Amino acid sequence: MSNYFYVSPEQLTKDRAEFAQKGIARGRSMVAAIYDNGVLLVAENPSASLNKISEIYDRIAFAGAGKYNEFDRLREAGIRWADGTGFTYSREDVDARALANYYAQHLGDMFTEGQKPLEVEILVAQLGSTIRPTKLYRIAYEGTISDEPRFAVLGGEAEAIRERFAANEESVHSLQETLKNAVGALAGPDRTIATSELEVGILEDRGARRTFLRLTDEQVSELLR
Amino acid sequence: MGLPLYDAHSDPGPSFFQYAQTAGFAPSQHASTLESPHATTVIAVRYDAGVVMVGDRQATGNYIASRDVRKIEAADRFTAIAISGTAARGIEFIRMAQLSFEHYEKMTDSALSLEGKANYLSPIIQRNNLSTPLIVIPLLAGWDPSHRVGRIFEYDGAGGCYERFDFATIGSGTPFAENTLRLGFRTDLDREGALELGAIALYEAGDNDPSTGGPDFVRNIYPMMVTITEQGFQELDVDDVAARFRSINDRRTQSGGVAGGTLR
Repeated sequence: MSNYFYVSPEQLTKDRAEFAQKGIARGRSMVAAIYDNGVLLVAENPSASLNKISEIYDRIAFAGAGKYNEFDRLREAGIRWADGTGFTYSREDVDARALANYYAQHLGDMFTEGQKPLEVEILVAQLGSTIRPTKLYRIAYEGTISDEPRFAVLGGEAEAIRERFAANEESVHSLQETLKNAVGALAGPDRTIATSELEVGILEDRGARRTFLRLTDEQVSELLR
Repeated sequence: MGLPLYDAHSDPGPSFFQYAQTAGFAPSQHASTLESPHATTVIAVRYDAGVVMVGDRQATGNYIASRDVRKIEAADRFTAIAISGTAARGIEFIRMAQLSFEHYEKMTDSALSLEGKANYLSPIIQRNNLSTPLIVIPLLAGWDPSHRVGRIFEYDGAGGCYERFDFATIGSGTPFAENTLRLGFRTDLDREGALELGAIALYEAGDNDPSTGGPDFVRNIYPMMVTITEQGFQELDVDDVAARFRSINDRRTQSGGVAGGTLR
């Protein structure tokens, strides 16, 4: 015979939130920021092949923090959604806001109804064009979606990194300055992060349809010099 | 369309075509007896630094439906796809190929090999051609960055994929273009030689095949000419192409409408 105990919704939500936060805190953090010519995404990532930052569509990028297998599945779903939408309608109909909403719904559903909440935080970045604005959408583990005006931080130490980054970021800067500030904020005052442990991607207009570019270690070193 | 999430055992992987089938927006394969216009000549010639492609611009049904169709498109930076057969299916086929290669690259963070792209298209052609009379026969050519060489892949009606090491043609003008290519092809062709041979072969097809459009000096519409090399897919500009066809035309005028003894 089994016993059922009453657990209040407040307690259940609190337990689940704690569980998700703990999982997310185990991974390294990442910063996304708008610079004068585009959007920068920087993650601390010791692996050169298990990416946290990825191209979703012509002007949309994805970043995840927390459990790799969980956010990677969301990344794949995002690429499928974007390519499918563009194939069915037109390339200009693929909008980051719609994708961010789908992610928020899914994370929200998993948080309340899933076996366990997803231990991830994700970011959908969109480079602006004549028909859409530049946007950073941060989606938390429980499905809260926030539209970040200039920069967003994901991961365990988000609060501390946010403060460090904001202290040097009163206005929009060049790619080089923004990258230096982001890497400094990720590292904190007591350590430095090797270039090989940084994953850097940008969304920037370079005259081609696709705007996502993954920067090589050499390019990152050059910018950080 | 909701968020396309799949379980590990039903995941379509990085194949966009597989996903499109799962999600239900891949082209339907219901049999139909509808015959629709098809006629074309597209030529691919291999040379020392890549591949030259030349394609006519005419869409033909019972009458000329369009004079400025693009039958060669870049599938990605290093790959070109040309189509012959039913226009509607051909255009859809190009979209599917373009999207598939990019989709694979985004999903896996690595580009498909040229041979991988060629093989990927086989079942798509097979599925289309064996289930409807709306036949599509494509031609794939590209620069293979891992082997540093230009390569050409042709297909039969059932989707069989064959690599060609010299040249290939598709469309109704094939017999005329192919004869010219067989006489003029050399293994040591350079860019200029390959462009010249491709243009003459297309001129021959346009001259003899009623469904292949030759150079249109009245409307200033000329066949498409592209090169695919280490620099990627590059289309020759219209003045360059016009000059080439004008020169062939002038030579033919001098020799009474035929090449006149040498391939020129």
